[in-house]
Amino acid sequence: MASCKRPIYLILLGIVILGVILFAMNLRYGSVAIPWTEFWAALSGSQGSTYRAIIIEYRLPQAITALLAGIGLSVSGLLMQTLFRNPLADPSLLGISSGSSLGVAFVVLVAGGIGGVTFNTISLWSTFGITLAAFVGAFAVLLLILALSSRLKSMVSLVLVGIMIAYIAGSVTDILKFFSQKEGLHSFVIWGMGSFSNVGMTQMPFFALAVMVGAFASFLLFKTLNLLLLGERYAENLGVNIKRSSMLIILVSGFLTAIITAFCGPIAFLGLAVPHIARFLFQTSDHKLLIPATAFLGMDLALFCNLISRLPSFDGNLPINSVTALIGAPIVLWVIFHRQHYSQTQ
Amino acid sequence: MKEVLKTSKLLIGYKKALLPEISVSLNEGDIVALAGPNGSGKTTLFKTLSANIKPIGGEISLFGKSLRDYSPSEHSSLFSLVLTEKPDDLFLKVFDIVSAGRYPHLGLLAKLKPEDESLIAESLETVGISHLADRNFVSLSDGEQQKVMIAKALVQDTPLIFMDEPAAFLDYPSKIELVNIMHKLSREKRKTILFSSHDLDLLLRHADKMWVMAPQQPLRQGTPKELVEQGIIDAYFKPIVAKEEFYWMK
Repeated sequence: MASCKRPIYLILLGIVILGVILFAMNLRYGSVAIPWTEFWAALSGSQGSTYRAIIIEYRLPQAITALLAGIGLSVSGLLMQTLFRNPLADPSLLGISSGSSLGVAFVVLVAGGIGGVTFNTISLWSTFGITLAAFVGAFAVLLLILALSSRLKSMVSLVLVGIMIAYIAGSVTDILKFFSQKEGLHSFVIWGMGSFSNVGMTQMPFFALAVMVGAFASFLLFKTLNLLLLGERYAENLGVNIKRSSMLIILVSGFLTAIITAFCGPIAFLGLAVPHIARFLFQTSDHKLLIPATAFLGMDLALFCNLISRLPSFDGNLPINSVTALIGAPIVLWVIFHRQHYSQTQ
Repeated sequence: MKEVLKTSKLLIGYKKALLPEISVSLNEGDIVALAGPNGSGKTTLFKTLSANIKPIGGEISLFGKSLRDYSPSEHSSLFSLVLTEKPDDLFLKVFDIVSAGRYPHLGLLAKLKPEDESLIAESLETVGISHLADRNFVSLSDGEQQKVMIAKALVQDTPLIFMDEPAAFLDYPSKIELVNIMHKLSREKRKTILFSSHDLDLLLRHADKMWVMAPQQPLRQGTPKELVEQGIIDAYFKPIVAKEEFYWMK
């Protein structure tokens, strides 16, 4: 905005630079310590070294996935918070991630139990099968929500419908868990913890394109989102078709959530936390700024969490879901207390 | 005088009509107060005139053309709203809200042109809140918030402004200030204003013209003086006053 005193572009630039540094650190640090000389050699392309394999085939796709998931989930959360005018809204609000959990539960628990196929953690087929199942589950719920949203008058009923769908999907998932084998259950629990390391370089172009399209579509909605902040009747008077716009926002937000949950599992917290951090940092609710700010901050936070989840001392990865909450929750608490202070003094 | 709004045999309500048929009109520059006790259908009439709900029967025409024949996006250049519901986002700035009134006139990226900027500055000036442009909306007083929403309506640049209960939460000086702003808009900018209120004292002193409503009674129009002399104010407000407000005096 023209009348803003904060050095917006400097802060935004700082966030992007921080992202680049975090990305590089994601390549540099992990459970295997790589000497600096080997690191540069691996990056500059000396073939065949083990280090190069670790960096290019393992850490690079993981860092890109974290970056994309961070962008997508945060923007998706912002859209939900604005549409429902509720600070507690996040990408899982409409039951889309519960839908993908149900899809995965069907494949891992039922197919595993009936067909005698055990979906162990590492095989390529199981990763693909799980992604596909999560995809189908998430999009089934998204389509159901879109179909129902055209018949519902108020946003509150829509949230209630989403929560009910989530409950139904959750309880069916629980029943499947109850009747399932130990091995299946284990893979399902592992999937539920979330991971940035399931997207290989072959699926990456598709994943990247999908997230970018979703993020760009969100940006194009910024006028509508700004008007919705004034309240539905003001928005309507200023030319917003409430029903069509809500469906469009749900479609974009749900699409991002569905894609990312399919590839990474249900990643909690980023979508809830990052929009709050962006609002506080830029002291704005103008989506023209808030959407890029949220996207870049989401990228930073996801890369940071990914880095923490595989600190050198840990053998293997900590579940990313615990890390996002562990790091995100204190930040949100800090923001809430400062925001209270802020609104009292202004 | 140019006719801005006209209703003929209009029936309003949800499924069942609240009032007998309404046939009234507004001319350019009019400030008309829609008066009536709570529950008489003021808000329903507002919502119907601003195309938020459909009439049960009859016709509304704006500038000689039926409201139904305007597309929803054309509404934003015909009439603007000042409502009782207010934005509650913590980081929403006064400038953001007022400039949102300009959105229907802007392109995809909502870039403000110099003439938009000067219209925004002028509107803030007209309602007397230029110094509040950078403030957070939620940190303002009720009276200041009301002025922000009026500035938004001005920036929207519509010939007709609907204000639903604009004086509802204001103290007396703010009410007078509001009335002055409305007169200024009508005189200097030829705006037509329809506002509702149940504050009888304010209306009788300051409104040019009134539309008076009561449950199941026909809507009557006239100057405050005419309506008092014809006994309409008495007839429409007294039952409520006698029944509810002064029960402790009996």
